Amino acid sequence: MNAVDLRPAYPAIIVAVTAVVVLLLQAFAGKGKHGPYVPFSLAGLAAAFLATVMIASSQERGLGSHTGGALVADELALFLEAVILGVALLAVLLSSSYLRATNSERGEHYALLLFSVVGMLGLVAVTEMISLFVALEIMSVALYALCGSRRDQVESQESAVKYFITGAFSSAFLLFGIAMLYGVSGSTSLGRIGSAVTSASDPNHGLVLLGVGLLLVGFGFKIACVPFHMWAPDVYEGAPTTVTAFMAAGVKVAAFGALLRVFGTGLASLADDWRPLVAILAVFSMVLGNLAALAQSSVKRMLAYSSVSHAGYLLAALVAAPRVSAEAVIFYLVGYAAVNLGTFGALSSLARDGREPVTFDHLSGLSRRHPVLAAAFTVFLISLMGVPVSAGFVGKFYLFTAAVGAGYTPLAIVGVLMSVVSAYYYLRVVVHMYMKDAPVEDAWAPVSTTSALALAVSVLVVLGLGIWPAGVLALAHAAAQSLL
Amino acid sequence: MTSNLLTLLVLAPVVGAIVVALVPRGNESAQKITALAVTSAIFLMSLLLVRDFQPTAAMQFVENHPWIPAYGISWKLGIDGLSLWLVILTTLLTPLCLLGSWDSIHERVKEFNVFMLLLEAGMLGVFCALDLFLFYIFWEAMLIPMYFLIGIWGHERRIYAAVKFFLYTMAGSVLMLVAFLVLYREAGVGSFEIAQLLTAPVSPSLQMWLFGAFALAFAIKVPMWPFHTWLPDAHVEAPTAGSVILAGVLLKMGGYGFLRLAIPLFPVAAVKFAPWIGLLAVIGIVYGALVSLVQPDMKKLVAYSSVSHLGFCMLGISALTTTGVVGSVYQMLNHGISTGALFFMVGMLYDRRHTRAIAEFGGIKNVMPWFAALFLVVCLSSIAVPGFNGFVGEFLILIGSWPANRTYVAIASLGVILAAAYILWMVQRVLYGEVTNPKNEALKDLSPRELAVLLPLVALSLWMGVASPSFTRTIEPSVAALLEQVRRGNGGSVLAETPAPAVTVARQ
Repeated sequence: MNAVDLRPAYPAIIVAVTAVVVLLLQAFAGKGKHGPYVPFSLAGLAAAFLATVMIASSQERGLGSHTGGALVADELALFLEAVILGVALLAVLLSSSYLRATNSERGEHYALLLFSVVGMLGLVAVTEMISLFVALEIMSVALYALCGSRRDQVESQESAVKYFITGAFSSAFLLFGIAMLYGVSGSTSLGRIGSAVTSASDPNHGLVLLGVGLLLVGFGFKIACVPFHMWAPDVYEGAPTTVTAFMAAGVKVAAFGALLRVFGTGLASLADDWRPLVAILAVFSMVLGNLAALAQSSVKRMLAYSSVSHAGYLLAALVAAPRVSAEAVIFYLVGYAAVNLGTFGALSSLARDGREPVTFDHLSGLSRRHPVLAAAFTVFLISLMGVPVSAGFVGKFYLFTAAVGAGYTPLAIVGVLMSVVSAYYYLRVVVHMYMKDAPVEDAWAPVSTTSALALAVSVLVVLGLGIWPAGVLALAHAAAQSLL
Repeated sequence: MTSNLLTLLVLAPVVGAIVVALVPRGNESAQKITALAVTSAIFLMSLLLVRDFQPTAAMQFVENHPWIPAYGISWKLGIDGLSLWLVILTTLLTPLCLLGSWDSIHERVKEFNVFMLLLEAGMLGVFCALDLFLFYIFWEAMLIPMYFLIGIWGHERRIYAAVKFFLYTMAGSVLMLVAFLVLYREAGVGSFEIAQLLTAPVSPSLQMWLFGAFALAFAIKVPMWPFHTWLPDAHVEAPTAGSVILAGVLLKMGGYGFLRLAIPLFPVAAVKFAPWIGLLAVIGIVYGALVSLVQPDMKKLVAYSSVSHLGFCMLGISALTTTGVVGSVYQMLNHGISTGALFFMVGMLYDRRHTRAIAEFGGIKNVMPWFAALFLVVCLSSIAVPGFNGFVGEFLILIGSWPANRTYVAIASLGVILAAAYILWMVQRVLYGEVTNPKNEALKDLSPRELAVLLPLVALSLWMGVASPSFTRTIEPSVAALLEQVRRGNGGSVLAETPAPAVTVARQ
């Protein structure tokens, strides 16, 4: 008799248990009191991280054949799980002082965050479509609630509703796509789908393409690429800033992880069919995302549109799938996660008495009052621009190397030119921080130790990947290999 | 120790920047002294390069450490005759800039010194890098400190100028990045090392595109007409130290890029494009000179004169003769010294009067005799009077370009005359006559600190005017090797022959 091997699910299980414990802490803390949510959440995430590392260092690979084929613990899954757990650790650190400053500290905030992590961990490890759907929903439902967690703010409510409606909408597309592929292959397992849809002469080929297209739409919503990006600015702006940070970093990693696996293994044989589609999405995202970001007066909206454009850069590399592009995408995701945590985290760390910097003007003169924070913010922006020495530069370099290597040079040209456009609006932040004087009365909060720690880690990751990318690149390479 | 000399040179400013950043905010003089000490030490260290440099075409002081092996990227540094003196120019100008800005930067002294040090690291990196990826890292990373220097410590329209500078330069270089990637794919040597890429020439039709992308990046940096429009803004709005570094070193990277990358990597395209580059260069020479003539602002005048002077450099490069290219490299150094000194001196006047308008001055020689004397010397060097460095450079360029295109040389000679006109006219209006403006009556002459900044530059412009062979001797072998590479790439002799070897000319 085969015992079910739950090891691939250990990290997710640990996080889920932690979430339940945090919820219970809330219940036992008594009215108006705060329990030790942060240390418990951190401990749970750290334990999960440790579990991931231990699974990775144990010699067995391809774990998960005994979990009904739903989850694997290959290099890709483990690496992205570690990244997601890192993101969650930093997000918890950032949250603690932000929630206090905005008077919205509650246990369920951390519990929801942890539940959403469970979904993300699943998303990067699934090899089966129904599990993929379930993981996606676990992640998303928790995030909908998180977005609306500032009950005193109508923008927060709006963001939750918008995210929920578009999210539900995109789930329907995804589900419909899964159904099509099931109809053709008779299975929801990626491996079976892969072997069933290989031949283009198949009479069901049209059905397969429809399924692939619908899947792409579903993923398109999650990664916020044009034309499925409409929700992003409102949601990013309205959600509590630390939630935005967590979302912008975590969801991108998880969704692209799943995208890589689905399109890189199950649908790899159809690459010639979906490649042009991805290229079109990439161009539109790069161009429209950047142009729209130019016109924003809110920093959070600007960053939201910039995240649309970055989805475009990532998609541009995907056309080179499956070989080089996967490692380029994985590498980029690590740096990009750190940068997103950093930018939104820097904004959130300034919150005081329920107010936080929103417009460019709010950041005027920041370099005088918060020289170190301004310097860190600048590092993140440089990385977003893709200027060395930063993770963003090396990441873009790999992405465009992949695109050019696959013969999609025009995509790379659009990408780099749009990076120049993006430099304009990223520099606007720098201009305000360094070259304009602060309004007299504005004094943002001093950065708390926990936020400072999270930001410092982000800066180190961004600079570290810019200076010494070889180590992470090797891990990304191994992760990409596991797709083949 | 010498085996890691270049790495040491490139990284020492970064370490210095970190040290300055750690000095407490209140202690400004400690920050200034640290930065000056570090950059001076770097200058002294760089003199070791001159001592040990052999006048051959080979890359010297080469270091090679794997960096990102998966993509064949390495930390490979080395210098030859093309880069040796540009490295020295950089290490010389940086401490002078710090000394020159000693009393004119009052705000955010720490940041200023940090950015100057980071800038130096970037510039040295560009001149030493022998790996395309590494080259690009330094090339782009350098933008950031320069952007801050203009944007924070600049004049009225500094933000506009800073952003324009950044976007303009970045727009040019990102296309070059794509060209790098295409070259990497096509060459198929699995390496970004320049030496390896040289051994795998790409097809002539692709060379055109790639050369175009490289040339655009470098033409913007030089800047060649019509890509020069960022330069007057950046130069005029930058603080003195920024202008000196911009004119002295950053503009040289354009010409250097042509010589180090664009021409040897794409020899076929280089020969095809050369006449057009020459044409733009000649237009730049005349255009820059004419615009300089009508400037009411001294700093703008010097800025536009750079367009004209850099046109000479590009003309010499486009000729693809040994004499012309050696002249260009020499002229790059001259321009760095004389225009650097001019910017310093305009800055010194600005520190005293807070204006740069020529009309505000007049009769300055009566109140500031030392200033007047040095100003005149620097101006004479800038307009290439025999005996000064400028003459050697421009003369070599003109005779070197003669076999390539006589019309260009004829028109360019016009630029020499115009240069004399606008510079001497400025000298006349600023220095001579009676003191008409009462505000100028009590101006103090140069302080010892200011003299210490200017005298090395003045001495060099004289030394390079009379002892040019000691410089050309080291430049020439590398230039000859470069042209040999071009000849080989074109499968034979397509280049115009030089009438006389450069060294003999330079000795006359």
